[in-house]
Amino acid sequence: MRNSLHLIGFIGFWTLAPLHLFSAPSASTSPSTHFAAAPNVVRVAVTSQAYDFSRPWSKRAPISKRALGVVLQGQRVLVTAECVANATYVELETPDGESKQAASVEAVDYEANLALLKPDNSEFLQGQTGLPIASASANDTLSIWQLEPNGKLMVSKGQMTTAEVTRYPIDESAFLIYRVSVPLQMRDASATLPVVKDGKLAGLMLRYEASSNLLDVIPAPVVQHFLKDAKGDAYKGFPRMGLAFSGTRDPQLRRYLGLNGTKGGVLVTQTLPDGPAAFADIQKGDVLLEIDGQAIDADGNYADPDYGTISLGHLVCTKHFENEAIPLKVFRSGKLENKTLTLARRRPEQFLSEPYIFDRAPGYFILGGFVLQELSRPYLKEFGSEWSRKAPMDLLNLDRTQSEIPKGGKKRIVFLSRVLPSDVTVGYEDLRHQVVTSINDHPLSSLSDIPEALKKAVGGIHKVELSGDPHQVFLDAEAVEKIGPSLMRAYRLPALSRLQ
Amino acid sequence: MHLRRILPLLLLVLICNSHGASPKNGSTPGLIRKSLARISNTAQEPNYRQPWLSGFTGGGSGTGWVVGKNRILTNAHVVSNARFLTLEKEGDPKKYIAAVEFAAHDCDLAILKVQDENFFQGTIPLELGGIPEIESEVSVYGYPIGGERLSVTRGVVSRIDFRPYAHSAIDSHLSIQIDAAINPGNSGGPVLQDGKVVGVAFQGFSGDVAQNVGYMIPIPVVRRFLKDIEDGVYDRYMDLSISTFNTLNPAMRKALGLSNNDRGVMVSSVSSAGVCHGFLKTGDVILSVDGLPVASDGTIELDNDRIQMTEIAERKFRGDTIRMEILRDRTPMEITVPLSRAWPFTMQANQFDISPTYVLFGGLLFQPLSRNLLSSMQFQNPRIHYLFETFVPKEVYNEHPELIVLTSVLPDPINTYLNEFKEGIVESINDTPARTLKDIAAAFSKPAEFYVIRFLGNGRPLVLERSAVESAAERIRSRYGVLRDQNLEENAH
Repeated sequence: MRNSLHLIGFIGFWTLAPLHLFSAPSASTSPSTHFAAAPNVVRVAVTSQAYDFSRPWSKRAPISKRALGVVLQGQRVLVTAECVANATYVELETPDGESKQAASVEAVDYEANLALLKPDNSEFLQGQTGLPIASASANDTLSIWQLEPNGKLMVSKGQMTTAEVTRYPIDESAFLIYRVSVPLQMRDASATLPVVKDGKLAGLMLRYEASSNLLDVIPAPVVQHFLKDAKGDAYKGFPRMGLAFSGTRDPQLRRYLGLNGTKGGVLVTQTLPDGPAAFADIQKGDVLLEIDGQAIDADGNYADPDYGTISLGHLVCTKHFENEAIPLKVFRSGKLENKTLTLARRRPEQFLSEPYIFDRAPGYFILGGFVLQELSRPYLKEFGSEWSRKAPMDLLNLDRTQSEIPKGGKKRIVFLSRVLPSDVTVGYEDLRHQVVTSINDHPLSSLSDIPEALKKAVGGIHKVELSGDPHQVFLDAEAVEKIGPSLMRAYRLPALSRLQ
Repeated sequence: MHLRRILPLLLLVLICNSHGASPKNGSTPGLIRKSLARISNTAQEPNYRQPWLSGFTGGGSGTGWVVGKNRILTNAHVVSNARFLTLEKEGDPKKYIAAVEFAAHDCDLAILKVQDENFFQGTIPLELGGIPEIESEVSVYGYPIGGERLSVTRGVVSRIDFRPYAHSAIDSHLSIQIDAAINPGNSGGPVLQDGKVVGVAFQGFSGDVAQNVGYMIPIPVVRRFLKDIEDGVYDRYMDLSISTFNTLNPAMRKALGLSNNDRGVMVSSVSSAGVCHGFLKTGDVILSVDGLPVASDGTIELDNDRIQMTEIAERKFRGDTIRMEILRDRTPMEITVPLSRAWPFTMQANQFDISPTYVLFGGLLFQPLSRNLLSSMQFQNPRIHYLFETFVPKEVYNEHPELIVLTSVLPDPINTYLNEFKEGIVESINDTPARTLKDIAAAFSKPAEFYVIRFLGNGRPLVLERSAVESAAERIRSRYGVLRDQNLEENAH
């Protein structure tokens, strides 16, 4: 006993002393000296806590992520959205590690994978001019910045090989990237790294493949679009046309479409109901020949002044903003027609099955032990890395083919994810992953319809209709009411429902 | 889904059980041995990737036994896809040529006949027993690997249960588990107790899954098969094609108008291609079948055993009926359902002794989706797998009696831009629905300048010019060795 007490006191003395000695004077030095070895970058430490979609009333254990943020003009810090997703606490740290400051997320775009942080105390970044932003092009030499543990800047140089439109981490979003060939030794487990050209920010690291030494960069044009948008009153995001298309290289297809005399063009294969293309009277079967004055080739590319032949996605999403009108030239049943399309972003909540949900608790409703939820991609992803094979077949199919489902006022797909067995659910214990079409003949277009539907019980019994076997089950309305508190106790539920 | 993963591990084995105890009523050991035969099968597996070719020749061997006059009984999987069958008997140097008289792939049994009647000299039809007691000793006779001559192993009856029959992949029947050693090459052999056959060895687990687990087909299944073929045709098992759900929940019972007597099971779905279509609907309650009360968990008591109510159809034959007392909207009714088998199930079963059907047009190969096709191809398109799995439960067959897949493209200048359509499921051709292979063949035989094929989903249409197809036809045929452009009949041997 005596020995251990002595030891603890001894260590305490040694660890406390240096901290006290060094931290006191640093508070009085000018903030910019903290950045002496590496101006315009800050370490970002993020603690994040994701919701558990398979137990929607609870959060997962917190995890920490680190990033190297770029200081921009106006004393804001740019990082990737991935690193601040579901953030509960964001802290900035000067390169020398001696000063820390809490920060908040000012704007975030998960599709473009960008976020803007603002330190809670504006003095923290005082003296930092911020990096200007500049585009790069193929064959440019780009520098990838990292920080050594001692706060020194470590620069790796590589050559930009190409610019192309490709997938971003959020499914279904695709934007321009710069691809850089560079061997990188990763320091500091950083999720975001600045990519710099001649002292100007060319972009942020999107992903790095160590086996091929290929670095994909979220490029300056995407960053600039994000920043310009973030300056406005409400962040709007990257717009889309709301259509799907297919190439027209096949000469037999061209002859069938009557495109003999023309060059290029893409065939519209689908327009989203209530999407910009549908509003602009673009129809399935139209051939898009020109967008915003740019000729579209048979593969869906146009000639960009900066990047050469590149997908029309860049022209539409990144060169324009929401609510901008662009002229289109389409070929329909042998004639050329001019259309005007007003661009709009397709917000995640406009999907029947939301493609991503961050920073927001998933809804749920517990009905006597039935756990009712809304179908979303994050729910399916709870089935692990092989979710696209292992998640329930019916739910996967609904998510995958949601664009083929006539919407008919349906906002969400409500499903029974599992049963928390109780006296009320005897006989129903094995039900899971069943779409709920209605309760008491009241159709459900989202979880919010449930309270209304429950008022319509007939003879004190709730009828729950499911799209698969057994198609219908019944619950005692009074027993459902009564069981609530004991369900909360037994399964440690903070609440019986969370409706948006 | 789980079942599917386990099934491939089921190793079909021929087991041969030696009967040590002296016989009481049944045949003597010497006669039993003489009434067994080793069956050698030269088989030809159909080639689904190039369906115009004759297929891959292979072979296997198993065990058969005399069950009646000029009749040898064995497993269907021993003689599947047979092109040439021979029988050998212990102590007889001759090889006898045999042919399949009946094959019941849904219960894995088959009957062979032998041309040369001399085969039956010195043999007796083995006597059929009943269901052996659990823990009683049985002997398995057969020709397993590890030697040429007859082998006998012994074990006890471990359990009696409804189990999947791996051969067809979709059927489950009564099956008896025994712990006698089971090895490949022994399928079809008799399992004996007191000189009587109490089962037909047919499947087991491979050694890395479970040890000492072998399964035999019990005599009720064998007798049903023998009775079914009495009229010269095998009609297969009957199926109600409904699913049911328990009525244990008090609110459920109240809503359905049931009293608190633990009786009745709710009909949860009725397949529109099944025999109960028009007789039952979702929400009906079945109170009894053939006079036997149905409990709230869907079981009935039969032969001192509780079995699932739907399995009462197991024991019936085509043309038989099932009588049910039901409750519909709280009103009692009585219905009588004539039995037959629902056709859509066959698409999900392994099929044998058929030649693949297809249409080849412009180098594009169209084939109907089936388990045979699915296991020959590695389809990536999740839609194919989804529609295969839900073909019966979601009644996909109503819209698509067949799911016609563009399975491959034989490269040629006329189809060089068409690879993106591989694994697409045909929806229409020239705006006419094309949902069977015959529809496809008919659409392509109609003259048109363009053939515009639309697939499920939101992709672009596939366009082929008739003139291009015609000019390429001979080129594709000779370049890829195509013997026939189409086969629309499964039984075209």
